[in-house]
Amino acid sequence: MDSNGSLRANPWARSPSLTSAANGLSSDPLSFPGFGLQHNQPKWDGPSNSDYGIRAEASFKEFNQPSQNGSPPPPDSNNEIEFADQENCHPSESSQTNGLQDWDPSVVLNNLSFLEEKIHQLQNLVHLIVRQKGVGQPTELVTQEQQLITTDLTSIIIQLISTAGSLLPSARNSLINTSPLLAQIGQLQGPTVPSGTGVGISCIQPQKNVGKKMSDQAMQTDLPNNCEMEQNYNNVEHDPKDEDDADDGESLAPGSYEILQLEKEEILAPHTHFCTICGKGFKRDANLRMHMRGHGDEYKTPAALAKPHKESGSPKLIKRYSCPYPGCKRNKDHKKFQPLKTILCVKNHYKRTHCDKSYTCSRCNTKKFSVMADLKTHEKHCGKDKWLCSCGTTFSRKDKLFGHIALFQGHTPAIPLDDNTKGVAEPPIQDSKENSKEGNMNNTFGSIPSNGNEVQNVMDVKGNSDDPINYFSSLNFEANFGVFNDFTRPLFDDSESSFSFVMPGSFKSGGESGSDNLQ
Amino acid sequence: MEQPNSTNLFDHLARELICIILDHLLRDDDPFAAKSFSQVCKSFHALESTRRLKLKPRRLEYLGRILKRYRWISQLDLTLCPCVDDATLERLSLAWSSSLRRVDLSRTRLFSHVGVSSLALNCTCLVEIDLSNRADLTDLAAKAIANAVNLERLSLGRCKSITDLGIACVAVGCSRLRHVGLRWCIRITDFGAALIAIKCKQIRSFDLSYLPITEKCLHHILQLEHLEDLVLEHCIGIEDQGLATLQASCKSIKMLNLSKCQNISHIGIASLSKGAQNLEKLILSRSLVVTADLAKCLQSFPKLQLVKLDGCLGTMSGLKGIGNLCASLKELNLSKCAGVTDENLSFLVQTHKDLEKIDITCCGRITHASISSITNSCLRLTSLRMESCSMVSREGFLFIGQCQLLEELDVTDTEIDDQGLLSISRCTKLSNLKLGICLMITDIGLKHIASSCSELKHLDLYRSSRITDEGIVAISLGCPLLEVVNIAYNSNITDTSLVSLSKSQKLRTLEIRGCTRISPEGFSNIAARCKHLETLDIKSCYKINDTGMIQLAQYSQNLKQIKLSYCSVTDLGLIALASISCLQNLSIFHVEGLTSNGLVAFLLASQSLIKVKLHACFESLIPHQIKKYMEARGCVLLWRDKTLEASRWE
Repeated sequence: MDSNGSLRANPWARSPSLTSAANGLSSDPLSFPGFGLQHNQPKWDGPSNSDYGIRAEASFKEFNQPSQNGSPPPPDSNNEIEFADQENCHPSESSQTNGLQDWDPSVVLNNLSFLEEKIHQLQNLVHLIVRQKGVGQPTELVTQEQQLITTDLTSIIIQLISTAGSLLPSARNSLINTSPLLAQIGQLQGPTVPSGTGVGISCIQPQKNVGKKMSDQAMQTDLPNNCEMEQNYNNVEHDPKDEDDADDGESLAPGSYEILQLEKEEILAPHTHFCTICGKGFKRDANLRMHMRGHGDEYKTPAALAKPHKESGSPKLIKRYSCPYPGCKRNKDHKKFQPLKTILCVKNHYKRTHCDKSYTCSRCNTKKFSVMADLKTHEKHCGKDKWLCSCGTTFSRKDKLFGHIALFQGHTPAIPLDDNTKGVAEPPIQDSKENSKEGNMNNTFGSIPSNGNEVQNVMDVKGNSDDPINYFSSLNFEANFGVFNDFTRPLFDDSESSFSFVMPGSFKSGGESGSDNLQ
Repeated sequence: MEQPNSTNLFDHLARELICIILDHLLRDDDPFAAKSFSQVCKSFHALESTRRLKLKPRRLEYLGRILKRYRWISQLDLTLCPCVDDATLERLSLAWSSSLRRVDLSRTRLFSHVGVSSLALNCTCLVEIDLSNRADLTDLAAKAIANAVNLERLSLGRCKSITDLGIACVAVGCSRLRHVGLRWCIRITDFGAALIAIKCKQIRSFDLSYLPITEKCLHHILQLEHLEDLVLEHCIGIEDQGLATLQASCKSIKMLNLSKCQNISHIGIASLSKGAQNLEKLILSRSLVVTADLAKCLQSFPKLQLVKLDGCLGTMSGLKGIGNLCASLKELNLSKCAGVTDENLSFLVQTHKDLEKIDITCCGRITHASISSITNSCLRLTSLRMESCSMVSREGFLFIGQCQLLEELDVTDTEIDDQGLLSISRCTKLSNLKLGICLMITDIGLKHIASSCSELKHLDLYRSSRITDEGIVAISLGCPLLEVVNIAYNSNITDTSLVSLSKSQKLRTLEIRGCTRISPEGFSNIAARCKHLETLDIKSCYKINDTGMIQLAQYSQNLKQIKLSYCSVTDLGLIALASISCLQNLSIFHVEGLTSNGLVAFLLASQSLIKVKLHACFESLIPHQIKKYMEARGCVLLWRDKTLEASRWE
């Protein structure tokens, strides 16, 4: 929720440029997310039959909590928003490098008025809550309404943010803008396609969530039970082999969290934080804050420079992310959907799974990575600790190699042929290699330089493929085998005895002894 | 070989008959028998060429002729050839590619993985290869072995450079392995051992002594269905705690050797041998304390025949518990086992009446009572070793005669006297008798032995100083089968003894060290007549000179080892020895007549040397090139700075 909150702040902070974003919105029919919301607004009360005010009150409480807990208490809710994590902000800003076309001020105006109205709504909501505060309510109802309103508010805020985001100064070319918005909206509305029924579009999923949450809370009193459920869930849903670093081992009941989905462009954007004044992009929020100092004294206050504190304590919805790639297990539409925990996870997952591996290791020239950090990690170990199988597969650990060999028929460890291949295998092997040099003379691989591992692998594989033939030919001896066995077995039993053979060459001297023998 | 007369009587013999005779000769140990046979006539020579399957060449200079003459060699023992290079291995592997099944290269150097590779690739029916003692063979050699897909027996003892990777190749390539010896391959760990067990399901015997292994590989090894012998000597990584986690159990196992596994108690043994109903041999030498719990653990093996507890600390209850075993033991080793007393030993032997071999060496607390109970209850006893049982009185040895099946008796360093020997002389099957440091025995006792123990082959009279020529003469007359005789440090021995001993045609080993009264003339009898002599120790026989050496060189062509220190030998005698074609070991210190030139000439001339022990003073005198040359030929020169034992020169 924090990120959404932060985005909310943008429209105010960057009001001068609000108009610029209107273009993008106009270009897409869905760029007026607010309208949908507006449209829904009256129906809030309808389906649930609950008191609007109660809900509002509850949500207000919750909404304020973060600011109460925060260390430098912000003067109002708007301020609080500024401190939030800005990850979500970038989608609307990131991909706006090209195109000033479709710039329509009227749309911007439209948008602005929408925003205004939206804010009024919010204000009303808060007022209602304030008024209701005094009235005694059955606690159960209150909490339930509170949850509902929280989610409703969330959706409003998201709409606001998206709109605001499109109005950012750097957001001049807006085409792309809309897609993240879409994503967010779509995500919120996602499962509730039958929105025409008049049920609050943005409500349904959160409502579901609330229900879950309630039950979760109720269950927390009954710990063992809870655990059991989670375990079961693990068994069914959790796939430990999933490559992503995200939430393996986490088992959230489906629906007990909020799902966000970023678009491909946002995920792949190099920068996530942008200067509102000059538009310069940064990877880190802290760097942006340092940069902002140059734009004036107001950015040098301790409050402006302070690290945005994390909201805590409030029983907010847990946020999880969905991968935009259709059919991916991390995509929310997947049967066994497994959400990603953070935006970083989304980025890494998307790059690793759905992007080209463009970073090649300069040492081995084989391993490729799509995430720079992975390459750097690999480069630390590249060349050493390599356990190589004859099939060409490398392992960083010996036990993994032996597990592999035990599993597959005919695979053997690849043994380096000489000192040239140092580094490929266990270092101590090469310590006692004096004899091997001689052998390498006959060996065609002898001349392969140190980086010829690949070649060697290939050769090994070839050798391997010959194996079955060898094996087969050896089977032909099976027949002879038994015969030989019977014949030589008794001989073998005598093998300990010193059955010396006197050389033909030693006949001269042997002759004497032989003749003596006959005495 | 041309026959002047057209009639060769041997040609009239039926070929089948000759073949049977030849096969019998070839199966015999005697290397001369086959040779004599082949020298009879041309047809015999040809027959021998085709019938011979086993070959143990002394040198490989005439490899071409060997390859030409013998086409069907299936068993090749190269232990007498210290240097075999890759080219040689390739040649012989090509020549005998279809017949060679067993190769012993355990004492051979120089060849590398290339030679092994040609053997494995060319000899497709190779089932056994011994590459022990090649600490320089690497994983490449192991990879070469992996080409021998039919291999059943593999010994890699002390191949310290072979690692898990190499052994993994072997495990994958040689899936028919039945006997694997990896003793002292200290770079092989759990991974390699486990992989062998996973890939080679036919394994019968597995030696993993001295390896840094733990229970992890045992988990896989115990799952082998046919495993019979498991040797885990000095595997100190195996512990009770780890063994307790073992789930697998091996029912087929027959022999378990846990010698020197100091971290194992009866608990570990129990978990290791869980379900081992067929266990026959359990060797626990120098490993643990013999407690009642261990005895209880042994109860679970109904077929147990052999228990070795030598070097263990035995408790009273533990040893008595072994007496209560349901299985009837055939062999028991309690040597150096502290805690063995008359009481528990007597109890033990009374239940195990089938005992055939008992070793109670250095059990210092037992007396004649134990011997009495052993001889009374174990009438099938064939071997009794009781060296240094110093509390056993003279009467104790009088009982031994009751065990008339006795073949081996070791009473070294005991109180035995002539009466005892008289009793022992009732054991007419005695073939191995050790009477070293028995200061009570005299010629009279030896005469008793000589009169009845005609099958005696080994006789040890080391430092039994009351023995004189009379006894030795009696022995050599009464025991014509003598092979090994040790009469070292008996100052009463003179040439007379040697003259009589020289009539023992089978004499292989003779130790007359420190018999100072022996003269060159006496020795020349031995040198000229004992043609089977292989090991000779004439250290400190000061009078023996070049004449003896020349005669040895002329007649004893089988001599492998000789110790010449303190003799009156000169360069001449030493160079004469160089003509002995299989001389491998030589030890020569403080020989006054020896010069560095003579030594160099000897070293260069003698082709089969493996190890020469020399005084350190020669090290600087021998040219560096010679040392290099000897090294390249596979001969080790050991330089020892031994001080002159002046007292010997009195």
